[in-house]
Amino acid sequence: MDSLANTVQEVFDEPACAKNQVKTAKERKKGCTQALQPGAAAGGCAFDGAKIALSPITDVAHLVHGPIACEGNSWDNRGAKSSGPLLYRTGFTTDINETDVVFGGEKRLFRALKEIIAKYDPPAVFVYQTCVTALIGDDIEALCKAASAKLGKPIIPVNAPGFVGSKNLGNKLAGEALLEYVIGTQEPEYTTPYDINIIGEYNLAGELWQVKPLLAELGIRVLSCLSGDARYREVASAHRARAAMMVCSKAMINVARKMEERYGIPFFEGSFYGLSDMSEALREIARLLVSRGAQPDLLGRTEALVAREEARAWARLAEYRPRLQGKRVLLITGGVKSWSVVAALQEMGIEIVGTSVKKSTKEDKERIKKIMGDEAHMIEDMTPREMYKLLKDARADIMLSGGRSQFVALKARVPWLDINQERHHAYAGYDGMVALVREIDKALFNPIWAQVRRSAPWDMEAVS
Amino acid sequence: MSQNADKVVDHFSLFRSPEYMGMFENKKAFENAVPVADLQKAADWTKTREYRELNFAREALVVNPAKACQPLGAVFAAMGFEGTLPFVHGSQGCVAYYRSHFSRHFKEPTSCVSSSMTEDAAVFGGLNNMIDGLANAYNLYKPKMIAVSTTCMAEVIGDDLNAFIKTAKEKGSVPQEFDVPFTHTPAFVGSHVTGYDNTMKSILEHFWDGKSGTVAPLERKACESINIIGGFDGYAIGNIRELKRLLSSMGVDYTILGDTSDVWDTPTDGQFRMYDGGTTLADAAAAVHAKATISMQGFCTPKTLAYVAKKGHEVAAFNHPMGVAATDRFLMEVARLTGRAIPEDLTRERGRLVDAIADSSAHIHGKRFALYGDPDLTLGLTGFLLELGAEPVHILATNGTPEWEARVQALLDSSPFGKGCHVYPGRDLWHMRSLLFTEPVDFLIGNTYGKFLERDTRTPLIRIGFPIFDRHHHHRYPLWGYQGAMNTLVKILDKIFDVTDADTSNPGKTDYSFDIIR
Repeated sequence: MDSLANTVQEVFDEPACAKNQVKTAKERKKGCTQALQPGAAAGGCAFDGAKIALSPITDVAHLVHGPIACEGNSWDNRGAKSSGPLLYRTGFTTDINETDVVFGGEKRLFRALKEIIAKYDPPAVFVYQTCVTALIGDDIEALCKAASAKLGKPIIPVNAPGFVGSKNLGNKLAGEALLEYVIGTQEPEYTTPYDINIIGEYNLAGELWQVKPLLAELGIRVLSCLSGDARYREVASAHRARAAMMVCSKAMINVARKMEERYGIPFFEGSFYGLSDMSEALREIARLLVSRGAQPDLLGRTEALVAREEARAWARLAEYRPRLQGKRVLLITGGVKSWSVVAALQEMGIEIVGTSVKKSTKEDKERIKKIMGDEAHMIEDMTPREMYKLLKDARADIMLSGGRSQFVALKARVPWLDINQERHHAYAGYDGMVALVREIDKALFNPIWAQVRRSAPWDMEAVS
Repeated sequence: MSQNADKVVDHFSLFRSPEYMGMFENKKAFENAVPVADLQKAADWTKTREYRELNFAREALVVNPAKACQPLGAVFAAMGFEGTLPFVHGSQGCVAYYRSHFSRHFKEPTSCVSSSMTEDAAVFGGLNNMIDGLANAYNLYKPKMIAVSTTCMAEVIGDDLNAFIKTAKEKGSVPQEFDVPFTHTPAFVGSHVTGYDNTMKSILEHFWDGKSGTVAPLERKACESINIIGGFDGYAIGNIRELKRLLSSMGVDYTILGDTSDVWDTPTDGQFRMYDGGTTLADAAAAVHAKATISMQGFCTPKTLAYVAKKGHEVAAFNHPMGVAATDRFLMEVARLTGRAIPEDLTRERGRLVDAIADSSAHIHGKRFALYGDPDLTLGLTGFLLELGAEPVHILATNGTPEWEARVQALLDSSPFGKGCHVYPGRDLWHMRSLLFTEPVDFLIGNTYGKFLERDTRTPLIRIGFPIFDRHHHHRYPLWGYQGAMNTLVKILDKIFDVTDADTSNPGKTDYSFDIIR
């Protein structure tokens, strides 16, 4: 078995994953995502998963080794924001051609690496394997090793060609690449007892920036964020953090768990979405830090900040409550934690007619059940056709989802709000919750929905 | 000097060269130039509330008016008829303006003549100019009809068109039976929309009421056809073609009265068409038999519609209908008047427009707009903006009447998005400047002259209106119908996204938000 197959098996056998724990050894081997069904619509590939997990590292060059398709379609397609370097948004690819497919693409890859380093001098280069270059046998791991030695720069192979599996697997393989080649390779300039890692936060729409000031106020330093608004050096020295928060459980759970094993960094799973979850996350960070030697007064200071921020947010939300009271929402999302948003929206008097649990763990589902009571309308996997029917039947007032389901909502005459990666508003933290509610309010009260729900006036009798 | 014969540079670059920059700086010493600081102070003062109040207290002076004169509208209306030469009785300078105005907007030649009155004509009356003018125009340009209107000069001295034209015909300037409709269009009354109304009415009167007593008035025999009058419209090319498509798809028998769509859009194929397209004179005459007449722009046609109604037509007036609901109302009125059903194709078009608006609603929702233009256009646009969830804040029409004000206000009152908006009839673009400084908005909608406001106040300008001189070919794309609303939606969205991009494009400063996907 080659190293990629080994890594994939290792990733599938994730001890920290509750879902994985209850599986038989045989099931585990098959992996944690459902096998793809040829001919049925499917999401992104492992390459895409790896690329989106790592591309928020802002100061490195991300070089895609493959034909134009892979970089051409994935170039800068996420709203992961940077507070500094912008090299991560430049599209680098070897753009291999027919000759390369016949004779191998390694030489081209090496020359591309040489040029990137000569022209851009990044602190590191990430090289992404793709289906074609994997199939023709380009050994990017060996090549990166050789090139790294020759060119004197860290060159990180990200071996997640599309065909090995799903986007989620790609996220994890990207995490493996960080663990294998990056984390622990540099030392931070200094450390404090208040250093944390945030794992699985991509700073989409600048969300991290709504959280960071609060942490800063408490004296907590984000030593490294994987991978939102990250610098290579920060990621390389992440092993010196005292505690970690894992934001998106399924994406990088292997990284959090292995960092705990290797470097003794305890982690918890939390969310920045929704007021109570945001507060809970701050408290948990404080607790973990104190348990690892931070001054205990951090706990009290955290409580004070939580109380202040919650009060401020509630005051700002109050004006929306009468407008949103009784509105019915359907949540279709994996990216933003479903239970966490559910609780927050319910606090606004909004009724949840259903929430998807496709990417939720067993634990998540329990929480959803608890929050939503018996009426819990948990939706496993859902075809657009089913979604359409549900929207029509449930008569939801609005659907919150990723961009892909937008059009289903519109065709079913239901307003829609984007809460996945292509959104333009940051919904994390206390301010983010206010922003989310404001956007829901806007979406609900946009006058076009009256037209969306009506037929042409001359067809009025025909409306169902 | 930087200018030399080997490489002559144009004004874009020449005056930016150091020599010229230095020269401009130095000559200030001889020009009693105001110190820069004082200049800046005065400029800043013009942006204040205090200045705004003084500005709005202006009584006599109009600064940067957003309207044009009656004869411009008269020429527009006359241009819409087959082989018709607009003939403006008065001074030739005015007519040169109309021609250049239309040609700069439509990028097409505009054939139009005047009676070239001079000082002696002003003293002794313009009769001879009319006699010679009609004869020359008829012989030189071989029109099928000459539509006469007037400039102020002829109006001030009180020339009587009816008598003059009769005399000219007696003197053989044009044959007795030659069609010469006429109307008085003094610029000191109303605006170009008034001139349009007067001229349209005069042409219909001419054909329907016995051609100034030379033939028997037409006997109306009501038929199934309907008439449509477009009004003064900078988008006439696209709009009228869109109207025709909509009406044809419904199977409606119709006549467009004043059809300029082919007049101002002739192909480049080696042939000069002095006259092309237009409502045929036979159709104009037969239009009296129509069962109904619809005006697309009620403020362009009050007298015309009243006249048509007297003939027994059912009449309906719209205000530059834009957007879903306004187009619905228009099509349903056509359906009601003609008994024709609205076909599935149009229902689908409507659905596509609703879909497009919904797709993009988040980007327009709550954006604040200032707009100015003609009464009908501003009404139509306001309706559409409210439909999009945009918030109009200042709506201004220099040629807006109290009736217009009341209509806009009623429209604003019908939507929560119209709450914070004020309506400004009779105000000018210098008033708008104060409004934009003291109550800023996200976007300004107006004609080309809005670019000065855009420059001064940094309010991004969306060009919708007349004239549009500095962007080409927009008049070819309709604003009416579902397709027109789609075009307008895209125009607005393009500007919103351009502004977002510009705002986020500063390298290393703001480009963390310079996104591929919007």
